[in-house]
Amino acid sequence: MAKYTEMAYDDAEEMVFGEAKEPVTYGHGPQITAGGGQVFGVTKIAPRPGAEARPEKLKTEFRKITKTILQRAVTLGFPTQEIENEWVHQMGENPVEYAQEPAIAQQAAIAEEFADEYGIATATTHTIPDLRVSEKGLRHGQDRESYYPEKVIGSFEIAAENGADVLKIESSGGMELADYGIQRGDIKAFLFGIGYLGSIDMEWLWSQIVDIAQKNNVIPGGDTNCPAANTAMFIAGGYLDQDIARTFSAITRAICAGRTIVAWEQGATGPDKDCGYEGPIVKAIAGKPTVMEGKDCSVAHADLMGNLAAQVCDGWSNESAEFHEEFSGWSSGTWAEAVGYEVSLMNTAKELGEDKTLRDIYMASDRYRSPESYIIAYDNAYKIGEAMVEEGDSYYRRSKAAAIKAAELIEDAQEQGKLQLSAHEKDTLEKVVTDLRALPEDEDKFVEECLNEYGDLPKFNPKNYGL
Amino acid sequence: MLDISGISYDNIFNRYDIVAEKEVTPEELFEEMAPKEEPWRTITQKLVFLEEVTDEVEEALNEYDPEDVINKGLIPGMDINGELYARGIYYLPQLIIAGDAMGKGIELCEEAMREAGQERKAKGKVLMHVAEGDPHDIGKDIAAAMLKAQGYEVIDMGRDVPVEDVVDAVKKENPDVLTGTALMTTTQTAFPRVAKRLQEEGLDVAFIGAGGAVNQSFVHSFPMGIFADEAADGPSICEAVKEGKTWEEIREEYDEIVPSAA
Repeated sequence: MAKYTEMAYDDAEEMVFGEAKEPVTYGHGPQITAGGGQVFGVTKIAPRPGAEARPEKLKTEFRKITKTILQRAVTLGFPTQEIENEWVHQMGENPVEYAQEPAIAQQAAIAEEFADEYGIATATTHTIPDLRVSEKGLRHGQDRESYYPEKVIGSFEIAAENGADVLKIESSGGMELADYGIQRGDIKAFLFGIGYLGSIDMEWLWSQIVDIAQKNNVIPGGDTNCPAANTAMFIAGGYLDQDIARTFSAITRAICAGRTIVAWEQGATGPDKDCGYEGPIVKAIAGKPTVMEGKDCSVAHADLMGNLAAQVCDGWSNESAEFHEEFSGWSSGTWAEAVGYEVSLMNTAKELGEDKTLRDIYMASDRYRSPESYIIAYDNAYKIGEAMVEEGDSYYRRSKAAAIKAAELIEDAQEQGKLQLSAHEKDTLEKVVTDLRALPEDEDKFVEECLNEYGDLPKFNPKNYGL
Repeated sequence: MLDISGISYDNIFNRYDIVAEKEVTPEELFEEMAPKEEPWRTITQKLVFLEEVTDEVEEALNEYDPEDVINKGLIPGMDINGELYARGIYYLPQLIIAGDAMGKGIELCEEAMREAGQERKAKGKVLMHVAEGDPHDIGKDIAAAMLKAQGYEVIDMGRDVPVEDVVDAVKKENPDVLTGTALMTTTQTAFPRVAKRLQEEGLDVAFIGAGGAVNQSFVHSFPMGIFADEAADGPSICEAVKEGKTWEEIREEYDEIVPSAA
């Protein structure tokens, strides 16, 4: 498959929420067109602990979740409502019993009923859990204990055959090196894990997902680097946290863009996964629609870019919130409402022709709140995209280029006195830049060096990546 | 792009972390806290400034008892690192890198003890695992590093560990504390199943439950469960167990014992 070597947009200014170069249409009723001129809302709710005890129990839970989301959307008159299910482990372990009817088929039927009765555009997205564990093996035939690679691919088939509109995953290839790198402030390990190994794993995974989706006429959406760059972001945290530096976390975000975009290079169409904060970078390169989360995911984490994250999204989402009762009803409804009103604001701005003004207000609000928000600001995301496509034919070199560009952007903003950095953030940035600049230009040499340096890590098995 | 140059960010947000930055340096704290005698001072210094200590430990083992090398050289180094972390001067990577270096030093000391027919007296034994069905283990790894740095022996069962394997390991290892971590709401339900099976086997052990979506009310809803919100809570809970407190007492005095709850 061809890699991206050009930008989809002529300049950053072209990018705005609700519009993508390559819109995608799916779902029930009037249908959702991601990137087709309006932003759509996505609500994501996790079953309560214990709901997974029996398939029947899980089915009841998903029925309530689905209905209460759609009821709130209709109650408030929202024109679109997407429901995303991040499968729990038990569904991936036994998709026929726990996912097929309880979640996929049942939700598709309810989404269709609401579309028929009220004319609301509905859709269901299924995010398959990446059960694979590097020690056991990431590819078919390697894990003879749990058969996780086979179960993951099998889950996509079941979702596609039973009513899912969109397929997504938070894949975990390279996580074993990323975890090591995050804990030790080792950007080379992270780059090897996510920029290189993770991209190889994405090729393997997404070529199969795209085939399954095409065979069943459903949408292959996209991936996210949740298990690595988001892990770095969560650990970096806010101003009271001191586990890793936010400059390090920001650079990991740039690196992971090189990996996330592989899904689209393999034929996925978007919209990609909401927790991929690298969305603005990959959208700038590919022009495919992206779903983002920010202020409405406060139930799960604090991300220092609650407003900025909305700047160029096509779908706006919350984060997995537990299903439970609130004063106003079920949590599913409260999150559908919070997300829906934000979407209404964006679409009203579009109606008024003020969407780019709102985009810039969202962006300006958090632009200097953290190094990560600064590099994801759409003008900077575009610059990182440009650096990546110049090296587009090498997974390693494009991820490294993204990292160096992000570091330079942060350095410049700090020198200009616009972006404040703590002493620790500055020290870490300096070390990251030194480490990145010391890396070889040649991909083979880099891989050889990394295999020598990290080859003995207990969780890392080069065979998982065909090495 | 809208002209945003006129925004006064003082009215938008404050970088409280920069306001609260501490003036003290690792060098100053080292001078204040490090042992004065050699070779302990050099070993401590190497650990505080994130260098390997294998040569120094090997040399010290020629002359001193391995227990002394651990208690007078390695542990004081990690104590200073812990203090630097607590004061917001050191961050996680410094603790992990120093922990790796200390781990190699401890291995050398343990080897020397085995050769002398001795056994290391660790502060306590902690058995760690990630819940069945859960592949996310970075939280467990960080917590393990903090426990090791405080002198605890850690037995790491890895991730996606079946309930029965945890119960068997508790029987075999007889740990002072068991820990379980989980990212998902529906993998954490393995914890009460572990607790139930432990009870059926007549085993009673403080069982720290932690991780992404795990919360206090859930962990305290099953027997033996003690919630840890942060990796840094682990050593304090283990210390309370070693002082003889039961899991019921730790829950009762939770806010006094567990740092993140204070």
